[in-house]
Amino acid sequence: MKLIDPHIHCVSRTTDDYQFMARCGVVAVSEPAFWAGFDRSSASSFADYFHHLTDVEPARAAQYGIEHYSWLCINAKEAENVSLAREVVRLIPPLLDHPRVLGIGEIGLNKNTPNEIMVFEEQVGLAAEHNQLILIHTPHLQDKHKGTAIIIDILKNDRRIDPRRVLIDHCEEHTIRMAREAGFWCGLTIYPRSKLTPQRGVDILEQFGPDQICVNSASDWGESGPHTLIDTLLEYRRRGHPERDAIEIFYNNPCKFFGQSPRWKLSATCGNIVS
Amino acid sequence: MPDSKEMLDQTLLDMRSRCLSLAADLDRLDRAREIGTDPRLRQIREAIAILLESGPNRAERIHLILSDKTPPPHGKK
Repeated sequence: MKLIDPHIHCVSRTTDDYQFMARCGVVAVSEPAFWAGFDRSSASSFADYFHHLTDVEPARAAQYGIEHYSWLCINAKEAENVSLAREVVRLIPPLLDHPRVLGIGEIGLNKNTPNEIMVFEEQVGLAAEHNQLILIHTPHLQDKHKGTAIIIDILKNDRRIDPRRVLIDHCEEHTIRMAREAGFWCGLTIYPRSKLTPQRGVDILEQFGPDQICVNSASDWGESGPHTLIDTLLEYRRRGHPERDAIEIFYNNPCKFFGQSPRWKLSATCGNIVS
Repeated sequence: MPDSKEMLDQTLLDMRSRCLSLAADLDRLDRAREIGTDPRLRQIREAIAILLESGPNRAERIHLILSDKTPPPHGKK
């Protein structure tokens, strides 16, 4: 079965992970821009990072038969520095025509501060102005519920934003309902220490159904790994769900959401390259 | 789909393990004493009480106990 990891930070992962994913049937990944584990000192660091995302990782992934796409933004944590954030945002428009860039992301909130909210709104505006898909990062742990509500409120009140072109990621039991009721795509991140376990992820899939939900590993520099996506697929199948439903969740749904970008080249029905 | 007995058969050992692990965490904290009044631990105790209640959505209710309830800045929802 072919799989897609719709959210993984390959810049933080080893080549062994690409080998592992390829062996497990992962044929494509998407990598949002994020906080690298430290605050960068200048916008030029982000220029290098965007080159890494758009050119270096696609070439590395291709060695293992994996299609690699990316998203560009200033992440919520470093957005606290508003002047740096605005410098970084100015780097983005010329890159939006890059054949590997799917949209703006992962934008959102971290600690729900006024600065984060201001930069988030500016990046939503950037996406609207350039008709880009949006990938949303919702905050961690105790900040998630409040931050998700703020994000959804901002997006719902922006008439330029079509919720079907926005994926709200890192949803959990207490936030997925508000995201779905507003018509957004939802991401389930299987990252057991701070987000979901495979079992809880499948519980949510069983309660809400597969429509407009993508499952990802969000593997990064923390305790994480691409195996969590596979573990979730195995848990889903172990509970007796048919392969066709698994294909819908783990392959077709990412194709459907990403396929709203003309740069995404995989077909939702057969997994072949379209052009 | 497995029935409820099959489901229990599949998860019982994991549940037992997680229950013992949490008990051992609390024992370890007790041995360290002084931490007993930390508000984070009080939240954990409230969350454990939810486990003993009947009714659906225990995970969601525990999340809400552990969530920041302060108002948003700038009058955002």
